[in-house]
Amino acid sequence: MSDREQTSMQDLAAAYALGALSPEETRAFEEYLAGSRDAQREVAEFREVSALLAEGARGAAPDAGLRERVLQRIGREKVVPLADRRARTPRVPFPIWIALAASLILAVGLGTMLVKSRRELAARQAAIDSVRATLAQVETRLTERENTLNAIMEPGVTLSLLSTTNAPEPRVQLFWNREKNQAIVHAFHLTPADSGLVYQLWFIKDGKPIPSITFNSEPSGHSLVQNVVLPEGAITHAAVTLEPRGGSLQPTSPVIMIGELRASS
Amino acid sequence: MPDRGTLEATTGDLPLIQRIASGDERAVGELYDRYGAVLYAVTFRILGERADAEEVVMETFAQVWREATRFDTERGSVPAWLTMMARSRALDQVRSRDRRERLATSAAREDDSRAPAMGTWGKDPTREAEQNERKRKVVDAMAALSQPQREAIELAYYEGLSQSEIAERLKEPLGTIKTRVRLGMMKLRDVLRPYYFESAS
Repeated sequence: MSDREQTSMQDLAAAYALGALSPEETRAFEEYLAGSRDAQREVAEFREVSALLAEGARGAAPDAGLRERVLQRIGREKVVPLADRRARTPRVPFPIWIALAASLILAVGLGTMLVKSRRELAARQAAIDSVRATLAQVETRLTERENTLNAIMEPGVTLSLLSTTNAPEPRVQLFWNREKNQAIVHAFHLTPADSGLVYQLWFIKDGKPIPSITFNSEPSGHSLVQNVVLPEGAITHAAVTLEPRGGSLQPTSPVIMIGELRASS
Repeated sequence: MPDRGTLEATTGDLPLIQRIASGDERAVGELYDRYGAVLYAVTFRILGERADAEEVVMETFAQVWREATRFDTERGSVPAWLTMMARSRALDQVRSRDRRERLATSAAREDDSRAPAMGTWGKDPTREAEQNERKRKVVDAMAALSQPQREAIELAYYEGLSQSEIAERLKEPLGTIKTRVRLGMMKLRDVLRPYYFESAS
């Protein structure tokens, strides 16, 4: 991911509701979504907008017969579909009709049972599907955790701690992979920023702050940002400030946390 | 300002879904009477072909029939759910076929000039008036966006392009497109909020 693509997750809700995220972004956003009630509400609202936009498309009218075909389609889902309409009215010699009539009575009874058990089956299938979906979500999350772990444990990665001057918490861990010149930023016990504000990371070079990513923490106080690209040159410190949403080019508020970047492990 | 009272006409989506969940086929017919025309219109606009749009509408209602038990009000209104299913089916189909030439030819061939969909709602004048009002508000809200914002949202909505694909198509930076989509949708949200469907939380 490039630097620009590190748009803060919450900015992706509208595009997600429109279905305009790439598959990778969709996966990442859905993981974020699972843990954020705010984002769920936002997505739900943008989905209402999306539903309303359909109203703007009104123009083409469906055939009057479509309603009936919809109902037929549903009727077919309940019972075993017959391959062909003609198959229902076979031309058969007379005596067979009697036997057929008898079996038909039986079939109606069986049909009713079939309808019932089909719905039960559908309900069970639905339950299985939902368990599967949860499992897939958990697997995705696990894979991502594992990737994070692997990235942290690569050779040449150094850990720096950013903390407030007078308290042990909140804290930000910065895992710096100097070979790739990338970092993973992990914040904990960090109170989520007030609305309209975000946390912004700065790298200090020659005593001057260079703007980096903005982020916010979950209600749990955690935040994890991967693939943070470091500016070229000798970076001595990293710091965090509170900035208006969208970030700033120069810090507009006092430094909350600061830490020295260790040049060697 | 909208008259909140007009929204009364949409009450009862949820009981309808509950009836469908319990196996009442007639409720599917009633749901179709409410949303069949708009779902058809939006899928027709996406697919450009009558038969394909009809198929998507039928499949969408079949999905409602199968999944009504799983409908979750927390995730939005019934029409939002329906639109999401129909659009996602239609867009899947668009993506899976080599669409561009087909659409160009089929749009010319099948420029749908039949009576407007509104006619099919005639059974319930209140509902019809409400729908006309809603459509007008949506058209106005779209018209109030800047042209680039509208273009980006329409490419996503009707052609199923991702933001990166839109950027590529318009030869604009991805960041620019993302901003257009986000700000455009936020504007629509703010303007259209009073017109959300009843079961939206």
